[in-house]
Amino acid sequence: MIEASGVQKWYPNGFHALRGCDLRVARGEVVVIMGPSGSGKSTFLRTFNALEDFQQGSIVIDGIPLTDDLRQIDAIRREVGMVFQQFNLFPHLTVLQNLTLAPVLVRRRPQAEVEAQARRLLERVGIAEQADKFPGQLSGGQQQRVAIARSLCMEPRILLFDEPTSALDPEMVREVLDVMQTLAREGMTMVVVTHEVGFARQVAHRVVLMAEGEVVEEAAPQQFFTAPTHERSRRFLEQIL
Amino acid sequence: MAALIQRLRRDYFANRVDAAISVLLLLLLGTALVAVARWALFQAQWAVIQVNATLFALGRYPLEQQWRLWLITALLAAASGSSWGLLRALPRRDRRLEAELWPANDRIAVASFAALALAIPALLGLSPGLQLRWWLISALLLASRWACGRWGRGRRGRQALRLLPLAWPCLYLFALGLIGGGLGLISVPPGEWGGLLLTLVQASLAILLCFPLGVLLALGRRSKLPLLRWSSVLYIEFIRGAPLITLLFLGQNILGFLLPGGVAPERVWRASLVLTLFAAAYLAEAVRAGLAAVPRGQLEAARSLGLSTAQAMARVVLPQAIRTAVPAMVGQFISLLQDTTLLSLIGLLELLGTARTVMANPAFLGRNAEVYLTLAILFWCCCAALGLGSRALERRLNPNTTA
Repeated sequence: MIEASGVQKWYPNGFHALRGCDLRVARGEVVVIMGPSGSGKSTFLRTFNALEDFQQGSIVIDGIPLTDDLRQIDAIRREVGMVFQQFNLFPHLTVLQNLTLAPVLVRRRPQAEVEAQARRLLERVGIAEQADKFPGQLSGGQQQRVAIARSLCMEPRILLFDEPTSALDPEMVREVLDVMQTLAREGMTMVVVTHEVGFARQVAHRVVLMAEGEVVEEAAPQQFFTAPTHERSRRFLEQIL
Repeated sequence: MAALIQRLRRDYFANRVDAAISVLLLLLLGTALVAVARWALFQAQWAVIQVNATLFALGRYPLEQQWRLWLITALLAAASGSSWGLLRALPRRDRRLEAELWPANDRIAVASFAALALAIPALLGLSPGLQLRWWLISALLLASRWACGRWGRGRRGRQALRLLPLAWPCLYLFALGLIGGGLGLISVPPGEWGGLLLTLVQASLAILLCFPLGVLLALGRRSKLPLLRWSSVLYIEFIRGAPLITLLFLGQNILGFLLPGGVAPERVWRASLVLTLFAAAYLAEAVRAGLAAVPRGQLEAARSLGLSTAQAMARVVLPQAIRTAVPAMVGQFISLLQDTTLLSLIGLLELLGTARTVMANPAFLGRNAEVYLTLAILFWCCCAALGLGSRALERRLNPNTTA
């Protein structure tokens, strides 16, 4: 589903953010990207739906090569959902309108049908009764679950998560991770940038460690957390475990 | 009573300094009030206003065509009443918000409006015929409010409410047509409009037209295309750097040369063009501030859902930006309304221009204070209405202020 090879990115100020990153994600696979802050993991994730551009290397999403061509970028964005650290719900729309906006506007599906689907999705993430509220009236955990439902409403083939629990109060992390775990079990292809070790151990098929803009290690979670091969991974694990 | 005294003591006379300040201010206010009242009741001669009331209101608008303006006033009253009633009939789904938007004592608002509508024409000492007309128009407003409030409960009301944003512009265009005389009516050229009528036409036209222009300029200023960006910046900075009065004179003098084939529009239209272009630059800055206040993540989220840049702007970013910009924009509109007084300097007979011709009349020599005070009160009323409307709009638009 995702084939990234040799991705290099320089910021306009000359900072070399990605130094040749490779990643392959198969259909139905859950890949967790970890690493210290500033290691480029969010930047790498955001290249997959062209929120960040890159200067060298290639990324192919579901058979569509990611180039500067706007039509291809739009096509990819329709198939790739994204969940942000700060939720980024639209505060001026109700929860239900947040979900229905894109499917009606982009996929041109009938309003009534999308609304029914949106209500089903809200039910699935456990907040059906909040459909007519505004995002500002919900807790952080509820907002993030709405954000996940909003992405799902576009029926994406891949979901990207950019530190989905980092902005949450500790007691709300669980409810969001539960939703993500269910999604993974149902076979959604997911790339997750997170610091949640428990989630990585239980749900991920592979864990990727990034440091200083490079992919340092790629391993099954069991091996990664117990017997990492690289010195850099060992130091990182010492810090977080 | 005891509670009242206690409160007075706490709020105004808690200690010596507080008490001194209170007494001093009370004395000042009292003297000012007495002086004004004494002047207004015994020294001032309000005949100048009563005799020239029509002139102040309409300028030299032909007498036999005034029924059109009465018709417009009646239509506006009916439209305001129905809008009020419809909005009242359909509370928002969120109860907490509703309590804040529409106080439970909505009846008090109706009662005070009725009282004012009854009292003001009588107090002004209008002729019985005029008094009756104003009372009828007020009654029309209240009646349509009541009727629409009744009728608009449920589905019908929701649909009608959706038509409102369309109905008002239509009514506005219709009113302009009536004033100027399309639709087979005798044409009344803008040169004959005057007084409050001209002021309101100029201000409303500029407000309505500068809004889309200002939004476009603000978007242009943030555009990625260098030429568009720089021309927007140049335009905004040039307009903001020049005083309105110079631009008005400039407009009167050079617009005729700039437009092809001597189709220089009527002086009134030239003035409203300049006012619009002027206000748009300031409005653009207000909208730009609003755009800057929308977090980057909003655009990213919209784009990652597959919306195009234009869709993301129109549906996600701009609505939020304009919401933030409403207070600043209304501030602009209020100063725009007041800026219309400058039109008197280029020879248009709007409120101030009319006032100056009245004061130049030997029959009313030395009655400047009465005239200026009336003008101030009229402007204050218009601005207060704008301010009230904007505050209601702000609260209705922004779901997060109460969350």
